[in-house]
Amino acid sequence: MTATTAAPADIPVRVRVRTKRLVLYTVLVSVTGLFLGPFGWLVLSGLKTQGELAASPVHWLPDTFQWHNFADAFTQIDFLGYARNSLIIALLYATLVTLSSAWVGFGFARLDAPGKKVLFGILLASMMLPQMVTLLPTYLIFAKVGMVDTYWPWVLWGLSAAPYLVFLFRQFFAGMPRELEEAAIVDGCGYTSIFWRIFLPQSWSVLSASFIIAFTWTWGDYIAPQLLLSTDRTTLAVAVMTAYVNDGGTPVPELQAAASVMYVVPILLIFLIAQRGFVAGMSTSGLK
Amino acid sequence: MTVDQISPVADRPGGGRAAPSDAGRASAARRPRVSMTARRHRAFYLFTSPWIIGFLLLTVAPMVYALWLSFTTFDGISPNWKYVGLGNYRELLNDPVTWDALGRAGLFAITSVPLSIIAGLALAVLVNRPVKARGLFRTLLYLPAVVPPVGAGLAFKLLFDPNSGATNGVMTFLGFEAIGWLADPYVRYVLLMTVLWGAGNVMIISLAGLQDVPRELHEAARIDGASAWRTFRSITVPLLSPVLLFQTVTGMIASVQTIMPLLLAPLGDTSGVTTVPQSNYLYMMHVFAQYFALGRYGYASALLWVLFVLILIATGLIFKFTSGVVFYNVDPEAKK
Repeated sequence: MTATTAAPADIPVRVRVRTKRLVLYTVLVSVTGLFLGPFGWLVLSGLKTQGELAASPVHWLPDTFQWHNFADAFTQIDFLGYARNSLIIALLYATLVTLSSAWVGFGFARLDAPGKKVLFGILLASMMLPQMVTLLPTYLIFAKVGMVDTYWPWVLWGLSAAPYLVFLFRQFFAGMPRELEEAAIVDGCGYTSIFWRIFLPQSWSVLSASFIIAFTWTWGDYIAPQLLLSTDRTTLAVAVMTAYVNDGGTPVPELQAAASVMYVVPILLIFLIAQRGFVAGMSTSGLK
Repeated sequence: MTVDQISPVADRPGGGRAAPSDAGRASAARRPRVSMTARRHRAFYLFTSPWIIGFLLLTVAPMVYALWLSFTTFDGISPNWKYVGLGNYRELLNDPVTWDALGRAGLFAITSVPLSIIAGLALAVLVNRPVKARGLFRTLLYLPAVVPPVGAGLAFKLLFDPNSGATNGVMTFLGFEAIGWLADPYVRYVLLMTVLWGAGNVMIISLAGLQDVPRELHEAARIDGASAWRTFRSITVPLLSPVLLFQTVTGMIASVQTIMPLLLAPLGDTSGVTTVPQSNYLYMMHVFAQYFALGRYGYASALLWVLFVLILIATGLIFKFTSGVVFYNVDPEAKK
C-alpha cells in the first residue's frame, strides 16, 4: 500500500526522509547534550583549582585535572560519617515505608469495610498536601517530645506509610487474581499470612521500585535533616551544602563540587541499575 | 470464627444428624460467610491502621497544632505568649511582603508548570520516534530528574556563576554582555531552568501514555490526510489529558514547596533565607524567614494555613475547569 503511493515520487521522498532524520538526530543529540551539561560542568568544576574556579573570563578546562580534590573532599569534612548517616536514615526509612505501604496497600486493594471509600479519598487527597506545610509544625512537635537530633522521626514516618507508595501497591495488588487468596482462605490462612506468604513474594518488582523511590527521596532530602539533626548527626545532603567552608567561613567551591558529584553518583547508579522497575513504578502510579 | 470452617463443612460433627435438612445446610454454609465478612472488615482496619494512625499523628495533629498556634504569638522562647485571635491573619493581609511573595509564587507556578509539561511532552514525542539508541536517549534525558536538589542547585550555581560560569562564557563568546545570573532579576530564570532540567519526569510518564495510544487512531488520521501537528493536537493530547492533569496538580504542589531558591542563594546563615535574592523570595521562603530567622511560629503558622487553603482552592479549580476537557479512555472490557 505504501509502495504504490510512494512510487511516483520515490527519490525526492527518500531525500526528504533523510534530511528529516538528520534534523531529528541533530535535535536529539543537542537536547541531550544540553541536559547533561549542568552535571558535566559540576564534574569539571570538581577537577579545577580554586583559582580556576574563580577566574573571571571563564577558565573552560583545568590546566591539570585536580583529582586530589575528590580525596580532599573526604578529609575536609567527615564525608564518610555523613554518608553513613544518610545511608542509615535512607535504609531505615525506605525499608519501613515500603513494608508499611505494602501492608496498607493490601488493605485497600483486597479488603473492604464500611468507610473504605472515604478513607481512600482522604489518602488520595493527602497526596495533594505539600509536605512542607506539615513539616514545620511537625518539627515543633518533635522538638517538644525530645525527638530532635534522633532518627526517630524517620522511623515514625516510615511506619506510617506514604500515600504515594500505598497507591502504587494498591494498584499492583488490585490486579492480582482473586483465586490466589481464595485458595489460601480455603487452606485456613489468615490475611496476615496471605499477605506475607502469597502477595509479597510475588511483588518483587513493586517492592524494589518502592524501596528505590523512598531511598532516593530520603537521600535527596535537604530540609528535614537540616531542621531535625545537629551538625554531626546530619546527612550528606546538608553537609555538602553547608560544611565546605574555610575557618574564615568562605566556601571552598572545588571541594564542594567534588563532594556533590560523589553525593549524586550513587543515586544515578542505583537508578541506572534498577531503571526498568523504577520507570514502570513511576508510570503506573502516574497514569491511573 | 476461623476460615477452615468453609471447606470441611461436611466433616464437622453436625450434631449426629445423618441427613441434614436443607435449612440446616443453608445456615451452616451461611454462618461462616457472615463471620468472614466481619473478619474482612476487621482485617481492613488492621491493615490500614498504620496509615490511619500515622495520618492522624503526623499530618492532622501538626495541622491542628499549627491552626492553634496561628491564633497566638508563640515564638518558642518567650513564656508570655498570648492568644491574639485573628491578629496574625490580619497582619498577614496587611503585609505587602506576604502579597509580593505570594504573587511571585503564583507567577512561578503558572510559568514553571506549563513550561515543564510542554518540555516533557516535546521530549516524549521526540524519543518516541523510531531512532537508533532510543533507550539511551531516554535514559540520559531522564537522568537529571533523579539528581537530588542539592546537587542540582550547586550545578546550576556553578554553571550560571557570573564570572566563571559556562553560560556567561558562551554568551561573551557570542558577543553578548555577561549577565549577573544569580542576582536580581535574572535568578528567577535560573530557578525556572532548574525546573525544566527535571522535565524528564513528565517525559517518562507521558511516554507511557503515548505508547498506550492505539495505532489505528494514528493510521486513520494519516489516511484522512491529517498533518502531524493536527494528529498531535487532536489525538495525542486528548488521550494524554489525564496524565497531563496529574502532572499539572503534582507540578503545582512541587512548585509551592520548592527549596531551590535556598539552594541557589549564596551560603548564608543556617536557614539561608536572608541571602535569597528578592526575585526568588517565594511564599515558602517567606514562611521560612518567619519561622527560622525570626522564630515567629504563630505568624508563620498562619501563613502555612493560608497556603494550605489556597492550594485546596487551586486544586479544586483545576479539577473543575478540566472536568469537561480531560478525556478518560475507559475500556469497557476492563470495567469491573
